[in-house]
Amino acid sequence: MPELKLIAATRIVATPAALDAAAWPQGALALRVAPDEALVTAAITADMVDDPHAIVEHDTGFVGAWVESDEALDFLERSCEWELPRERPAFAQGSVAGLPVKLWLEEDRVLFLVPVPYATDLEERMS
Amino acid sequence: MSVPADNLMTHDQSPRLIVDGEPVEFSAGDNALVAMLRAGLHPTGGGCLCLAGDCPHCVATVDGVSYVRTCQVAARPGMVIKRHPLNGAPPLPLNDRPGPDTIARHLHCDVVVIGMGESGQAAAAEAQRNGRRVIALDAAAGQEVIGIYPGPLVVARTGDGMLHVHPREEITIATGAAEIHPVVPGNHLAGIVTARAATQLASAGVDLGRVVAVGTLPEGLAAEQADGELIRFEGDERVEAVVMRDAQGDELRMACDTVSIGLGLSARDALLRMGNGIVAVRVVGEAARSSDIPPCPKAGMVCHCAGVTVDDLESVRERGFHELELVKRATLAGTGTCQGSVCLPYVRSFLADRGEALQPPFTARPVTRQLTVGEVAAGSYHQATPRTALDDEHRRLGAQMERAGGWWRPWNYGNTDREYWAVREAVSLGDVSTLGKMQVSGPDALELLERLYPTKVATLKPGRSRYVLLLDERGYVMDDGLICRDDETRFTLTFTSGGSSFAELWVRDWAEGWGLDVRLLNQTMSLGAINVTGPLSHELLARAGLDDPPQYLHHKIATVAGVKCQVFRLSFTGEVSYELHHSVADSVALWRRLLKLGADLGIKPHGIEALLKLRLEKGHIVVGQDTDFDSTPRRINHEWAMKLDKPDFVGRQAILRTNKLPLDRQLTGFEMEGPAPIEGELIWKGSDYAGDVTSSAFSPVLGKAVMLGWLKLFDDELPVEVTINGRPARRVPTPFYDPEGARARA
Repeated sequence: MPELKLIAATRIVATPAALDAAAWPQGALALRVAPDEALVTAAITADMVDDPHAIVEHDTGFVGAWVESDEALDFLERSCEWELPRERPAFAQGSVAGLPVKLWLEEDRVLFLVPVPYATDLEERMS
Repeated sequence: MSVPADNLMTHDQSPRLIVDGEPVEFSAGDNALVAMLRAGLHPTGGGCLCLAGDCPHCVATVDGVSYVRTCQVAARPGMVIKRHPLNGAPPLPLNDRPGPDTIARHLHCDVVVIGMGESGQAAAAEAQRNGRRVIALDAAAGQEVIGIYPGPLVVARTGDGMLHVHPREEITIATGAAEIHPVVPGNHLAGIVTARAATQLASAGVDLGRVVAVGTLPEGLAAEQADGELIRFEGDERVEAVVMRDAQGDELRMACDTVSIGLGLSARDALLRMGNGIVAVRVVGEAARSSDIPPCPKAGMVCHCAGVTVDDLESVRERGFHELELVKRATLAGTGTCQGSVCLPYVRSFLADRGEALQPPFTARPVTRQLTVGEVAAGSYHQATPRTALDDEHRRLGAQMERAGGWWRPWNYGNTDREYWAVREAVSLGDVSTLGKMQVSGPDALELLERLYPTKVATLKPGRSRYVLLLDERGYVMDDGLICRDDETRFTLTFTSGGSSFAELWVRDWAEGWGLDVRLLNQTMSLGAINVTGPLSHELLARAGLDDPPQYLHHKIATVAGVKCQVFRLSFTGEVSYELHHSVADSVALWRRLLKLGADLGIKPHGIEALLKLRLEKGHIVVGQDTDFDSTPRRINHEWAMKLDKPDFVGRQAILRTNKLPLDRQLTGFEMEGPAPIEGELIWKGSDYAGDVTSSAFSPVLGKAVMLGWLKLFDDELPVEVTINGRPARRVPTPFYDPEGARARA
């Protein structure tokens, strides 16, 4: 299990339309964690979101690790009751090993994200 | 007893397993039961064997696991089998328990087919042709389904752990039919097998001796047909003869070594009866058949698992138990190892014979097999307790960690008194990262908060904070915290550590229900928070670069010790206090720098134990500890936190109504000499029960015990003199310490 590392990201809460229309920086992962919330792995400023009341906050509240696909799927088969999306890439979130985990699934690897307060538990449960 | 590994093969290399400490040879393809029968051993001493996993007569302890159906496990060299005592339960292993490390694998499909006989294979093929994703589970392949649960979820036991199969559309039951066992005197003897079992044993080369067949003849072996009505089996431990009665009423005794039983088939439908109503369940093949009903038993053991005889059935029936479900409950027939596979046809037959309509089989419930603790626990995780970013720091400083408010928190750092006095006389740090923190923004943000909170939010100016109660519709206190106004349309809310998750749902639910245009961001786990408290807090913050800290109940964004913080001035301890909210990535750096900067100021971190004492001296409540489920602001003496002249807020109508009722009890302060009583101690007025203590501590600064507690009114008055723990105590106003709040506002 690779070491979980702090993820520098931005959390944006805005109208769904504003999030739909936003253009995120090239190479950033933009995870739509809710219709009105996105977690983007880049520095985002308020002027990038067309919503004057948007909450745009730099966030270090998640840790994450990339895991090779085979290893990740083996772990998820043992620890995740819900069905993973079959397309790639895909975003999914829910209880994994009893923890609130967000997943970014690519063909050959999977990004596990978990709130910092559960980092130790995820490391223990993945090892 | 242990057997050396090199002793597990005979000289001609036949593999061996160990039964009750003795090596037993087996042949390739044998299951454990066949191996034992080949050696003339019956796993439980007696009882009709089916070799199909239906009956309770072949269970044994295999490799330390009790109640294993030996007909369902392949024989392995070195397998250790302990036979179960006849008509008794095996002793639980005390030192040899299987570890709770059994894994569960989750599989997803459209259709799960249970049983891969002819009908199961056909059903699976049909589903696949229709484009369905199919998972097939087959006991013969080592996948033993033990239950169907809501979800739907089908759980199967395998040699490698548990399978948790989640079908989207359908569960197809293709489990076939079980053979009906005999119920007559002597059915506990060894040497009785079902017709299918006789065929299997013969084909495996087990010497059955002289075989007499009752009912359907077994295939593939020579057997003497016994005609007439089965009366009893005779023998001493092992069957020696079967006694039949012919049409003329004469008994015919037939000597034998083995009796083959062909009394008909009963649908193997326990999973069907379990899954009905949970999900679409389809049954195919023999499992869908109407079960044969055997003749009503006249004598003998009906349920070997629970030791229920025909006489027992008669007894409960005479006492008024005429329904199948009631008979099951009264006798426990059908609740044991085989879950009714053997007894159910006979109980139905018995009731029908006594004039009751033939009743459908009773509802089946998981699980159908005895499981180990590890198998039951497979795939489950204990609830994780989150840790703040400072968790390692606390442990490094020797903190005793406890779960409090749903988080791991430092209870103390080894010396609560020193921590306490550091707050009262010097400066101290507390990790309050666990507090709920939520941002609210939007054109309707003020409207939302006005409707939610009983305070007048509109009067709160940007940069100011206010203590607030959060009430439910009945006017009961759910939580408390702060409203901090950042600008005209943006606010920061704080909640208690334990109440923050529900409070977030509460705020979101109301915002959505009212259709208000707001944005909500929960930052509880993204932001750390350090409380700097004590009379030297100003000095410490000045050293950390904050020369112009906010005034009491104000807040501002500032850089403290190189870390960007939102600084809130408030006080829970009764001393000058600042909460520094910051990115969790900076928590450790901020904590360490502050400790270093305050080293010569006598700085020490304080834990929850000291904090609870400090806040009690100020009379501050802890929601959930000092409040009950029905605590109104009036009952907790917090009417000052509520503005009833507001047009409306959640709980207002209920409070207006209940305020018309006489007050029955109130949360009040008490003091007494001597040590503090325990929390929960009863309060007495003379010999009358008067209430109970919710918070209690000996106050070092006041030199006496101080308490909060619920006190009943007597003749519309709160008594002043009471007794707690057999000692006199006095009701006093709160705060106990610094009632003017001069120290907190200094």
